[in-house]
Order: sequence, then structure tokens, then C-alpha cells
Amino acid sequence: MTTSLLVPLHVAYIRALGNSKDELSYHLSAHLRMNAVYWGLTALCIMGHKDALDRDEMVDFVMSCWDEEAGAFGAHPDHDAHLHSTLNAIQILLMQDALARVDVDRVVKFILSLQQPSGIFAGDAFGETDTRFLYCAVNALSLLGRLHELDVEKTVAYIRRCRNFDGGFGAIADAESHAARVFVCVATLAIVDRLDEIDQPTLCWWLSERQLPNGGLNGRPEKLEDVCYSFWVLSALSILGKLTWIDASKLEAFIHSAQDIESGGIADRPGDVPDVFHTLFGVAGLSLLGYPALMDLDPVYCMPASIIEKLGLRKGWKALQRRTA
Amino acid sequence: MDVPTEEEHLLYSQRPEWADVLPLEQYENITPLAPIFYTDEYKDATNYFRGIVKSEEMTPRVLELTEDIIRQNPGHYSAWQYRYKTLMALKCPLDDELKLMDELAVKHLKTYQVWHHRRLLVQQTRNPGPELEFIANSLQNDMKNYHTWSYRQWILAYFNDDELWSHELDFVESMLEADVRNNSAWHHRFFIAFQSGVRNGDQDRDAIVRRELAFVKERIAVAPNNASAWNYLRGILDHAKTPYSELQAFVKPYSLPQPPFGTPPEVVDLEDPLPSKEAQLPCVAAIEFMADIYEEAGSGDLMKATELWRSLANEHDTMRRRYWEYRIKEASKTIKI
Repeated sequence: MTTSLLVPLHVAYIRALGNSKDELSYHLSAHLRMNAVYWGLTALCIMGHKDALDRDEMVDFVMSCWDEEAGAFGAHPDHDAHLHSTLNAIQILLMQDALARVDVDRVVKFILSLQQPSGIFAGDAFGETDTRFLYCAVNALSLLGRLHELDVEKTVAYIRRCRNFDGGFGAIADAESHAARVFVCVATLAIVDRLDEIDQPTLCWWLSERQLPNGGLNGRPEKLEDVCYSFWVLSALSILGKLTWIDASKLEAFIHSAQDIESGGIADRPGDVPDVFHTLFGVAGLSLLGYPALMDLDPVYCMPASIIEKLGLRKGWKALQRRTA
Repeated sequence: MDVPTEEEHLLYSQRPEWADVLPLEQYENITPLAPIFYTDEYKDATNYFRGIVKSEEMTPRVLELTEDIIRQNPGHYSAWQYRYKTLMALKCPLDDELKLMDELAVKHLKTYQVWHHRRLLVQQTRNPGPELEFIANSLQNDMKNYHTWSYRQWILAYFNDDELWSHELDFVESMLEADVRNNSAWHHRFFIAFQSGVRNGDQDRDAIVRRELAFVKERIAVAPNNASAWNYLRGILDHAKTPYSELQAFVKPYSLPQPPFGTPPEVVDLEDPLPSKEAQLPCVAAIEFMADIYEEAGSGDLMKATELWRSLANEHDTMRRRYWEYRIKEASKTIKI
């Protein structure tokens, strides 16, 4: 029974991702490549091993995803520009201290062009709308120092329409409350200083109710636990100052048990195949819970807290005190 | 010429009718972070895709090519985009496209693009009836699929047709019949009853509230340890601005242990159905509800609320001990004032 975070194993796992022997799944996930690099790099930063991946190679890769026609980043070279990949590109470049390579004006123009009349954001020209794209847009604009160009009222008005009777938020207006969408709406409202839009007592209770007897968290009532909710739920609670409402030791034990002790990496739940997405969110959750020897994570931006502080963007969130070993 | 079998799938590069297209390789003049290992088929198809995108071709064979790519990789959002543009340019019969999508959706229910593509198509066909049927069928395989339910809500709100709405209550009731703990179905019911405007025949809002209260009480009686049902109950009361105390008679039995064997049965009260004999009691949500009633009443009842919260913290819901302690602390501040 694993009771600690196997850092060296996870670092090795992330490093090896480029040499995936499972060729088919690697190429089928090309549309997630930019996201995967961001998840991997952020996890390494939190574990204190940022240099495990080559900086210059990574920056070159990010720049190779630049869509010259759209003025933003796609997930992979020759993939169309997308809001999600654009946010991740900016986050990677910030973590690698290479933001100067970006044509910020064009990126801002791209981001703002995706806001719909209702206030929601589309992810790309295809038009899929989702509150997670709203978060990508607001997060990116904030990191680029251009938040003042956003129509905040319009954005907040849409989030308000996504608020449900249980205090939670969905993907679009009228949709069911879901922990990941709760995170994106809460984090967006934190960035624009509108946490007053949230029914905090009801929502925080709903979030604490995500914890199951096995210690893991689920995304909505009567669904299965999944390590990624260790981030979505925890960060929302941390932003609202109620992180203590989760049983920390039970959740930590759950995350530890989802590690792959042979190949490294963390899976969605114990016994399943690990992936870099769940590896990041497991590590991120542990950081917020105060696990020893990890770097602080800013839950609003899901990036190292030190970088966000330097940019002057830190909001009033509260993580658990970092324990010494 | 032989028709290619599964094993003999012809690459686009081997097909004479594609000879006029210039395929474009991935990574022209760029060294990748890590080389992508393709299957030959996927590499071949996407090379040709890049080729026809560059030449801006929008012909029937492009539909074949994009379908090929989507079948191998439903996450390839550029292929979806380009396919839609081509369908529009060719003025294709969209009902056929929807039939094709029916097949793909079964395999790729959790992929955003599959649902978004349907959304675009139905905005063109303006024929939502069959979509509701498709959604109902698809939910049989995955009763809580988030995209599916969200798509159904979108269709109802977008077309806002009384005929479409009229069957929804029956539909959601059948879903709850299949699984009374389906949170998506409960959410959908709230959406139909309270968050989608007032339709013909539903103008008596008080009647709607009474109907919904009766419905949720019956479901709680059958299976009390069901967070969705209790959230729904609270949702109705908050929406109708009804004090929680009005539900005290109903809730109280659920907050107590099962009466000992041999206790004579209570008189059946249709307004306030009792928990079934098999129900696991006390029910955490009911204890919490009673505590909220006492807290709302204030003064002397705050002690009762505190006792209930303490029982939750120490015994019935120890996972959320810190939350219940918070409630005790907050209430004690009121006493001091």
C-alpha cells in the first residue's frame, strides 16, 4: 500500500512520454499535444524538477504550433488555433520564461473574437461553447496583462445563467452541475473579482459532498471517484476558503493508491492505466493539501504560485499548510 | 480491380482517383519535440487531408476522407470543421449525415465534437423531434452522459416548441424509474419544471410546486439515501421561497433510526409518505435538513441543531466532520449576540 508520492518515478514517467511505445494512442492524441506538454511541465514544476524536460526543445515545439492565419496556437503543428491550446501555450512559455516570443496583440484579438453575444466563449471557429473556454479566455487575458479589454459584465452574466439550484455550475446554461465546470466558473469569477456571484454556503457544501467513503472525490452525485477531481474540487474550495471541509488524509491516501508503482504516473483511480493528465491533477491536489516538499500551486491559474505572485495576479485563496516531512 | 478487403485497405496514395492531390507531410522543416509515430493509414489520410485543405477542395471525396479520419480519431477537430464546411458547400442532404452520426455517436459518446456536429446539423435541418428520440436511445447505453443530457437541454431551449416540451416529464420520469439516483435526470426535471419559462397549461405555478413536492417525497420514501433527491427538494423550496419548516412532519421520520421491530405501523399519510421498512435510517440528509429547520427557528432550537450537527460530525457523517463543526461554530456566534 503506497503511502507517499513517488516523485522520481513520476518525473521519469513524464520524461519518457515522448518515446511512447504505444504508437497508436500517442498519435491519436495529437489534438491534445499542447495540453499534454502543459500538464507534464506543470507537474514537474510542482515536484521541483522543472528541468527534467529540455527547455529550448519545448519552446520550439510551442512556437511550431503557431497558426499564422488565426494569430494563436493550435494543439499540434498544422492544427487550427484553439483557445485551450492557446492558454496552455502561454502558460508553458511563462513557466519557461519565453513569453517574449509571442505576438500578444494578435493572440488577444483571437481570444476576444471568440466571445459570443451571450457572453460564453467558443473554443475555436467550429463554435463549440463551454464554460471551460470562458476560463481559458479569462485566464489567458489575465496572464497577458490584457484583462481590461474583456467585457466583464457580459462574461459574468453568462456564468450567472450557468448557476444551478444546487449552487453548482454547468458547461453551458441549463446544464447539470459538474465539479470541473464549478472550478472553471469559480476560478474565472476569482480572476475578475466577482466571487459575490456564488452562493458560497450551498456550493461549498456541494463540493465537500463529492468525497466518497474511499476518500476519493467525484464530479457529481452518484458518480465514481476520479483523481482529477482532487484538483477541480480542491481548487474551488481553496479559492472559497473552505479547503478544510475535505478529509485531507483520506484524499491523500486515495491519490497515493492511484499511482503506478512500476511505470510511474498517476491514474484516475487505483489499478487503472496512468496518464499525464491525472498525474498533474494528483500532484496538484497533493500540493494544495500541504504534502511535504512540493512547490505551491496557484489554484486559480493552475500554475506555480511563485510565477503568479511575480505577475501580481495572486488572489485570496487558501491552501493547507505545507507539512515538513 | 479487386475490392479491397480489411487487410488490403488501399492507402489514398495508392488510389488513382486521388492522384491529383498533393499530400502534405506533417512537420515540413520543423524538428518535433518528439517524433510522432503514425500508423501508415492515419498518416496517409491526414497527409491527404492537409493537401485538400491547402487547395480548398470541397467535393464528395473530401467527405469520404474526413469520415475516414474521424473514424480513426474523433478528436481531430480540424477534420470535423472542414467536413461541416464541405457539407454546407455541397448542400448535402443532412438527414443522411445525421444517420451517419448516429452510428459514430454510439462508439464515441464521450467526444465533444460528435455532439457539437449534430448541433450544427440540426440548426440547419430544423427538425428536432428525431433528435430527442436519438438522445433517448443513446442514453440507454450511458444514462448519465453529460454531453447527451446537455444536448437535450439545448434542443428543448433552442427550438422551444410546446409539442417537444409536452413529453419531457414522462421521459424524465422513465429515466428516474430506471435509476432513482441519476443526478442528470433530477437536474433535467428541475430544468423542465422550473427553469424553462411558463408553457401553456403550466400557468398555475403553485400546482407545479405541489406536484413536484409530491413527486420527490415519494422518491425519497422509496430510497432515502439519495443526495440528488434531497438537493431537488431543497431546490423546490428555495425556488418557491417556502420555509424548510413546512416539511418538518415529512422529514422527521427519516432523521431517526428505524422503529424497533414490533412497533405498530403509523397511519398512512399520503401527504407525508414514511420511509420503507428496508430503508437505512437515520438518513444523513434528513438529519441535516432537521438541523437547518432548527437553526432557522433560532433561540432555543439552536441547541437542537447543534446536537444534530454533533451527531453528524461524530457518528453519521464523519468524513465531513470539519464542515459540521463549522456549522456548530457559526450558530454559536448567533447565540452569543
